[in-house]
Amino acid sequence: MATTFERVRDVVVAQLKVKADEVTPEANLVDDLRADSLDIVDLTIAIEEAFQGDAEFEIRDEDAENIHTIQDILDFLAQQGIN
Amino acid sequence: MTRALVTGLGTVTPIGLTVHDFWENLTSGVSGVTRITRFDSSELPVHIAAEVKGFDPSKYMDSKGARRMSRFAQLAVAAAQLAADDAQLVLTDNERSRAASAIATGSGGAIDTMEEMMVLKERGPNRVSPFYIPVMAPNMGACQVSIHLGLRGPALASVAACASGLYSFIEAKQLLDSGRADVVLAGGTEAALHPLPIAALANMKALSRNNDDPAGASRPFDLHRDGFVFGEGAVVLVIESESRAKARGARVYAELMGGGLSCDAYHITAPREDGTGAQEAMTEALAAAGLQPTDIDYIAAHGTGTPLNDAAETVAIKLAFGDHARKLAISSPKSMVGHLLGAAGAVGAAAAVLAIYNDLVPPTINLETPDPQCDLDYVPNKARKMTVRAAAANGFGFGGQNGSVVFRKYQP
Repeated sequence: MATTFERVRDVVVAQLKVKADEVTPEANLVDDLRADSLDIVDLTIAIEEAFQGDAEFEIRDEDAENIHTIQDILDFLAQQGIN
Repeated sequence: MTRALVTGLGTVTPIGLTVHDFWENLTSGVSGVTRITRFDSSELPVHIAAEVKGFDPSKYMDSKGARRMSRFAQLAVAAAQLAADDAQLVLTDNERSRAASAIATGSGGAIDTMEEMMVLKERGPNRVSPFYIPVMAPNMGACQVSIHLGLRGPALASVAACASGLYSFIEAKQLLDSGRADVVLAGGTEAALHPLPIAALANMKALSRNNDDPAGASRPFDLHRDGFVFGEGAVVLVIESESRAKARGARVYAELMGGGLSCDAYHITAPREDGTGAQEAMTEALAAAGLQPTDIDYIAAHGTGTPLNDAAETVAIKLAFGDHARKLAISSPKSMVGHLLGAAGAVGAAAAVLAIYNDLVPPTINLETPDPQCDLDYVPNKARKMTVRAAAANGFGFGGQNGSVVFRKYQP
């Protein structure tokens, strides 16, 4: 069974068209993974879809504002009970 | 006034993803029509289409960029890149301000509207893609070509149904004539292969239902024609000022002489049966080109394979060309390529340009039983080796929009 990090990594690779080994917990979505504002909105939608079977949650705009790195995504998911 | 030369070609079509394959197949009578593979067509009355097969966007653009484009824009960018490569076009930073795009389309990213509408209905507004608007907008064929190739002059995107492709060349000529640009990437693109438009056009009785014989379905000017075959693809030409082309020793395919436009002002789908609307476009094109009817050797006809179009176009050609109509070689690329809608005029232009360059006229395939209403020389079934001094490409669209563009062998 894939870990939460691996699942997030796969979504990020598919959405941002980056290499899997670029996706580390510390990786910054904008600076390291070359995402722009539209990419980040798109990515949050994809994360919601990928994890909707795990818990009932929504990434609101104010949540998205605090997401800068892959670790931020993992922390957000942990708050929803997804570890 | 500067002369406008065709120095590059890019063709992403159902009969080839390179100019070499496109021309080889177009002159060998190869059909690009097959059973629909893109989606399940079993509930539709039409199961055939002219699909672009084997298209890999990542060969022409980075995959992240491709994800932000509708297929119609991807095909346009690919065709433009191929055309720029074919022309060996290199632009300095200063030259980019005087380099333009003119990429027409019939329906732009209509496919994305259909798909995102389903997302909105089934999964709610929060799931709608933030890319939807910049993906589906019909100007994005031109804008993505400009982004991709760094063209900072005007980006024009005409919408004129099935005449769209031809508008681009007229715009390109005007950009060169006015001095606004020295080089224009001009053409058309369409990728609307989806059950919705197929169902609508089938209900309109516009599409061939010859499902059991895909390659034989598109039969322009034949007595047993029963409609056109829905297609997709993009064709882009590099239109360059003579001075620029000369200075860099560019290969020249042909000279873009000029074009004519008109509107039937008559009916939303049916052409004027007396042919006067289409005739006016051809007559205007000849006048813009400064040529007489007798100067033209070949017409890449609109020739859709619908009963009405082919008869009306025949009447129109007779009106525009008089006695010379019977001496013209006329053929319909759609017999092989299918009907690429907003890109169809650009397909015709490519056929006209390559016919001039190679002195070889592509055939109209599937022309087996002559129709008494279509009694001109449609170059049936076999390409013809002949001198082509000048050629016209026709395109007529729903709404009554008519376009005709004239190219001539380049004489330095």
